[in-house]
Amino acid sequence: MKKITFLILCFLTINFCLAQNTCEDAIEVDLGNHSYGTIDGDAAPINCAGVFSNGDHGEWYKFTPENDYNIRVSTDLSSNTGGDSRFHVYEGSCENLVCIGGDDDSAPGPSLLSVFDFNAVQGVTYYIVFDNNWSSDGYDFEISEYVAPETLIDFNTVAINLSTSGNTLGAVDMNGDYLDDIISISSDNVNILEQTETDVFNERNITTSNAQYLASWSFAVADFDANGYNDLLYGAGNGVTFMKAADDGNSFTQISGSEYVFSQRSNFVDINKDGHLDAFVCHDIAPNVYYMNDGSGNLTYNQGGLGDSANGGNYGSIWIDYDNDGDSDLFIAKCRGGNNEIKINQLHRNNGDGTFTEVGAESGLADPVQAWSSAWADFDNDGFMDVFVGANALTDGSHKLMRNNGDGTFTDITLGSGIDNITSTGIENVAYDFNNDGYVDIFGVGGKILINNGDLTFTDAEVNINNNPVGDLNNDGFLDIVSNNNIYYNQPNGNNWLKVALLGTESNRNGIGARIEVTSSLGTQIRDVKAGVGFRYMNSLNTHFGIGEDTEITKITVKWPSGIIDEIDYPSLNSTLVIEEGSFLSVNKTEYKNLSLYPNPAKNQIAINAAFGIDGESFEIYSITGQKQITGTLYQDQPISIEQLSTGIYFLRISVNGKSFQRKFIKE
Amino acid sequence: MRIIYIFLIFSVFLIASCSSDNSYSRVEEEEPVEENPEEDVVNFDVSSVPYQTLSEYNFYEGSLDNLEPVNSVLPYDLITPLFTDYAKKKRFVWMPNQAEATYVTDDEVFNFPNETVLIKNFYYENVLPELEQKIIETRLLFKRNGNWEFANYVWNEEQTEAYLDLGGSYVPLEWEENGIVKSTNYRIPSGNECVTCHKTNEVPIPIGPKPQNLNRLINYADGQQHQLQKWVDKGFLENFPSEIVSVKDWKDESESLQERVRSYLDINCAHCHSENAHCSYRVLRLAYSETNVLDHLGVCLEPEEYVAPGLPYIVMSGNHQRSNMYYRLNTEDEASRMPLLGRTLVHQEGVQLIEQWINSLENNCQ
Repeated sequence: MKKITFLILCFLTINFCLAQNTCEDAIEVDLGNHSYGTIDGDAAPINCAGVFSNGDHGEWYKFTPENDYNIRVSTDLSSNTGGDSRFHVYEGSCENLVCIGGDDDSAPGPSLLSVFDFNAVQGVTYYIVFDNNWSSDGYDFEISEYVAPETLIDFNTVAINLSTSGNTLGAVDMNGDYLDDIISISSDNVNILEQTETDVFNERNITTSNAQYLASWSFAVADFDANGYNDLLYGAGNGVTFMKAADDGNSFTQISGSEYVFSQRSNFVDINKDGHLDAFVCHDIAPNVYYMNDGSGNLTYNQGGLGDSANGGNYGSIWIDYDNDGDSDLFIAKCRGGNNEIKINQLHRNNGDGTFTEVGAESGLADPVQAWSSAWADFDNDGFMDVFVGANALTDGSHKLMRNNGDGTFTDITLGSGIDNITSTGIENVAYDFNNDGYVDIFGVGGKILINNGDLTFTDAEVNINNNPVGDLNNDGFLDIVSNNNIYYNQPNGNNWLKVALLGTESNRNGIGARIEVTSSLGTQIRDVKAGVGFRYMNSLNTHFGIGEDTEITKITVKWPSGIIDEIDYPSLNSTLVIEEGSFLSVNKTEYKNLSLYPNPAKNQIAINAAFGIDGESFEIYSITGQKQITGTLYQDQPISIEQLSTGIYFLRISVNGKSFQRKFIKE
Repeated sequence: MRIIYIFLIFSVFLIASCSSDNSYSRVEEEEPVEENPEEDVVNFDVSSVPYQTLSEYNFYEGSLDNLEPVNSVLPYDLITPLFTDYAKKKRFVWMPNQAEATYVTDDEVFNFPNETVLIKNFYYENVLPELEQKIIETRLLFKRNGNWEFANYVWNEEQTEAYLDLGGSYVPLEWEENGIVKSTNYRIPSGNECVTCHKTNEVPIPIGPKPQNLNRLINYADGQQHQLQKWVDKGFLENFPSEIVSVKDWKDESESLQERVRSYLDINCAHCHSENAHCSYRVLRLAYSETNVLDHLGVCLEPEEYVAPGLPYIVMSGNHQRSNMYYRLNTEDEASRMPLLGRTLVHQEGVQLIEQWINSLENNCQ
């Protein structure tokens, strides 16, 4: 209805002047361009437009489509440039309106205009109410049939309303069913939305003792005292608080050190490979700190040896095995203004003996680019972890894609990768396969998803979702994103997948530090299990693989930090596989079952007896901490001397016809 | 040395008074460079500082908590001070005899001589429950062998002494301000926190004593005087130019909003948001000498880091609610607030100034 007709009718009857101002008098509009005037009618009754509250007035319109349409309602028009709009879309009756959705500031760019798409059903009346929370000005608006362009990835947004805000967020299983839950914290409460078999979350609040420090800078989760319930780490600007879960999982007790720590990224990791999870916390203005676990759940504060710049500059720590030697190395994304070395990123190689060596320069990763996090993954599935370093400012260089050469060095392959065209910046960068095609993508640089094309080039998927925790929140095998206000459900695209959940026994209970390999037609993909990636949040502890259109996985290999190797042939697809450490040591093919190690326990020597040919094969003996102790060549029943070993548990590993076997023995 | 001086003056007086029988000319007493001939009682042995206690320096006379400086210790003040959770400050400067600072530029800290000590006392009045004064800490910056060093002294409950402590600590406080009770868990910084603000290219420096901040009148015990002239008279400063581009008093409503805001942002933010400082990789340049350019203030510039929803610009002209800078100054969340260190409370009055200024700008961010 044209506005001029309005005015004429307005003169004729006062009632008509009040049109647009109430639900009952909402003006019927069709597809096309319209305008609303000063917002002075009844307020929008329910908030469907996101995090800010409704204003005290609204302007009411209604739209009844003649067909089923995909509809876009938008104020993002050039005539509205510089304006600030907000609107809600309802269906139902005026007495009982229900949210379809709405928008506040989603128009692209630094715009405060509003855009909302929804599926409109033929004959259903939708109410569109413009809201004056920000401005009572009238604007033009457009209702159009909208065909969404084909995108590389699709998210469906569902509103939630978490009471906490900020970095107090995680997407991680908290109740032991291997389904990712949504966790948010406050000083004396842990709020968990437990994922269930349906699309309804089960809300649970667990009281904690009062946290001395909150997770204002970072949040990490893992079961460091191995009692079966995940514990929490809150990294704050002045210190670190651990929340230890009780043995029945019904409460948490806080443990806070007295040391001043200006926390940044925090991680749970077994630093000294003794089977117990330690914690590492980046320090912004001093050398990094770490808390060593004595095995009884007691953590001891340490500082020094893992990034010692006197004035800090440590922002994004991440633990990966970049040299494939079976232990976790530490990469630190660093940042600092001014002319100094503090901003140069560091790579600390784990020497396997409790010491670390900083190898930034020789590896090629010593880069002054200002970065708060990095995304590590084997982007080309060649068996070595590569890294995407995301800049948060462009003053000292831009984003880098670094390919692991497999020899301890990295090559800068940014040029031509598509990464070189990205000008946005951000502090959060993580690596996940979002489209399940078997090639790990990048989520970062200010809320972009960069899809891996499979050839070390990346394409911006043009979805802009602010970086937030990542997990599978509806167990459909596609990784979702959760913020305080929304769950962004990643829409399945038919690709196959697998999730692996680890249950450690010799190693730490979450399997953090384990290397998992999955082989299918497209190749072998690798993952390192980590707790604490990106900058602020805690993401799923399940390890996720997409395998594209491959219809089978030939093998999964789990290389535990303990040295134990589990292998499963032909696992089921499109499900979560829970692997308990040491439960898949034998291979499920009868002719390979008969391999025994004797005597066990042994003092001076051991020998192997196999029902198949092993002569001439090489063997390795590993300690429980994963250190190689003895190597040699194997012959049927020929003794192998173990006199030089100290007492303890060891693993003998042999490889025959591309299959690896492992037997545990005790040296007395 | 002083005895010779007095003798010379006396001699001049004598000669002058005997110069002629017919013309009696009154000789003006020459102003000595040192305003008074008393001995410098400050104790500062550069090889053994920092001392374990504040009293050892002998900066103050009488009861320590009166903060009454001895003659050779000069009080100074800034035109617009840093906000520190509403703490009050008493600042002093001391230099050894004959040593003086030299002017560099309007917006740079003076070139101070070795053994300069900058003293900054932090205190509150009307502290509950007794509604009395409470001194929290005394921070020192002293120069040794060309380098600035930090020393921090934490006052005891009895207010009789302050003890060297660079480890950082907390003092929970409640006090009455204009009839309203405010509270804070006051943070006394550790050494690493000191250098995070007080540095250029990671090298420690003072922040306050720049000509632009000192160019004002001060009410000294012996009368009002121009501060920089006082420094010269005291022998602390060689000279200063007649024209100095200076900050304004942020509370002075006769000044423009722009001038007041630029002055406020300089002292509260420029120590990180300037070249060679902690966050020089961000586009903001908030030193007074640089904020004559709107870009440096972040006006109509998109933030590089996502902080909270609905904030498309660092400063959205005409719209404070949509401005990242306003949001950051108006929050206590420690991962979002600005400045990051040095405050835990929101400076209500400062935030009001920012709000007024932003809304006074013409609404023209696209």
